[in-house]
Amino acid sequence: MSLEVAIEKNVPGFRLAVEFAADGAPLGLLGPSGSGKTMALRAIAGLEAPDRGRIVLHGRVLFDSEQGINVPPRGRRIGLLFQNYALFPNLSVGENIGFGLRRLPEAERNRRVADQLAAAHLDGLAERYPETLSGGEQQRVALARALAIEPAALLLDEPFSALDTHLRSALERQLRETLENFGGSTLFVSHNLEEAYRVCEKLVVLANGSVAAQGPKEEIFRHPPTLEVARVTGCKNFSRARRLSDGRVEALDWGCTLRVAQQFAKPPEHVAIRANHVRVHPPAKLNSGNSVNVFPCWLAAMSETPFRVTLDLRIGSPAASPADFHVQAEVFKQEWESFRDLPQPWVIELAADRLFLLQD
Amino acid sequence: MNWEAIALSLKLALCVAGILLAVGLPIAYWVTFSRWRWKFLVEAIVALPLVLPPTVLGYYILVGLGPRHFAGRIWQSWFGHTLPFTFGGLLVASVLYSLPFAVQPISAGFEGVDRRLIEASWTLGASRLETFFRVILPLSAAGAVTGIVLSFAHTIGEFGVVLMVGGNIPGVTRTVSIDIYDQVQAANYDAANRTALVLLLFSFLVLTVIYGTNRRAMSLWRRH
Repeated sequence: MSLEVAIEKNVPGFRLAVEFAADGAPLGLLGPSGSGKTMALRAIAGLEAPDRGRIVLHGRVLFDSEQGINVPPRGRRIGLLFQNYALFPNLSVGENIGFGLRRLPEAERNRRVADQLAAAHLDGLAERYPETLSGGEQQRVALARALAIEPAALLLDEPFSALDTHLRSALERQLRETLENFGGSTLFVSHNLEEAYRVCEKLVVLANGSVAAQGPKEEIFRHPPTLEVARVTGCKNFSRARRLSDGRVEALDWGCTLRVAQQFAKPPEHVAIRANHVRVHPPAKLNSGNSVNVFPCWLAAMSETPFRVTLDLRIGSPAASPADFHVQAEVFKQEWESFRDLPQPWVIELAADRLFLLQD
Repeated sequence: MNWEAIALSLKLALCVAGILLAVGLPIAYWVTFSRWRWKFLVEAIVALPLVLPPTVLGYYILVGLGPRHFAGRIWQSWFGHTLPFTFGGLLVASVLYSLPFAVQPISAGFEGVDRRLIEASWTLGASRLETFFRVILPLSAAGAVTGIVLSFAHTIGEFGVVLMVGGNIPGVTRTVSIDIYDQVQAANYDAANRTALVLLLFSFLVLTVIYGTNRRAMSLWRRH
């Protein structure tokens, strides 16, 4: 069970050159829009021909530029879930699901459609037309239609992006169940890192048309190798860095010296920390002596969500304007209330084991 | 009223509509989906009858299908007679003359089909032909109907091309519009009036049907 992809494609103003492999577990293709995720997916489905490279699905060569092989989409047995689902508006739900089963005898076709309807919790909707369905139902019909042809691989292009937030978590749970029972390879394209993290075991991070990182998801989130990967995985705070000695770097943009836990082979070019790993304390903390990476900080701006606040903080001196800050910190409301009324400077703590050292 | 002329016009228009259904669909498909870089040349040629005076078109067809020309001689050697001044000649001329009226609305209909539906069909194992009949055509039926109805109506009303290629032979090439012209020439205004009224009502009816059923395809067509 594997999908191996190594392709290159040039279009005006963009170059895609990616290499990755998916086994039985869902593989997440994570990247900002314009990073080439969808183009890679379309190439795998056969909707776009790469300039060079090879695509092999379970040992079957689907594309090979050197041997001149390019299996058309209809011969690839790849289920593709389009971002907008692409249901045929002139066909009922049952006919949509049975669309790819034309060559089967009618009894067999009906049985498979019924199976898919039941598995997708769509019983009773077979006669309905797509426009009368909710977004979530449409998504399940599209998935059932893709699975009905018993594909060797399933490609999901941002399957939740067209849905309201409150529908997502239930559908996501259902999708995870479906994928567990699916025997083939799955590629899950997303720009939402939390979603990709929940659904997939392994991740490929794409940036500007090439693979910036790939591996087990925990690994990528814990130690993003480059600035780009850190950014894609949701890290918001970066500073250029200069190595001072083993375990110590100077954060040039933040104007402070930091102790770091991570070992580095090459001198790091950047130091970074996730907003939710930044701690903010009341002023008294500054004088407590044995703290590491603790600095005075001033508030430049803040924004609130129901349970958390995001604080834009400047290290070392008061902020001149709301845009004049070094580090964003995300703290729970409760914590925030413990120091919000105390005089500034507050105290920021950039814990040594939370700091990443990054290459360009 | 000259029922012979009316029957001939209807027969001609039905044949033209039938032929254009068979020919217009593949041409429109090609025009819509081809990525050939010189495609615009073909589009321009298909659209020519829209701007060319019917007499010019008729003249070229008359000469081209006549016995002195290559295509005309081939036809003559196969069928034993030349095309000009026969129903067959009229049919060929009318098909060419109405081609853009069929191809453009059909093509606009194809254009309106979401590309992703076509791609979805392919990934589900359907061939291009299956995709055409199961996805593209059902979703652009309005455009196809418009194209066929327009070419039918357009053929009923044509005059210049018919006169050039067909002449004015009763029962063979004398269509309604020629008949009206004849009646007026003969100062037979009552007969001309009646036939003209029939044509007027017919044209109005056809356009009402098209506009009523299908505004979008029409608006695309009217841009030309």
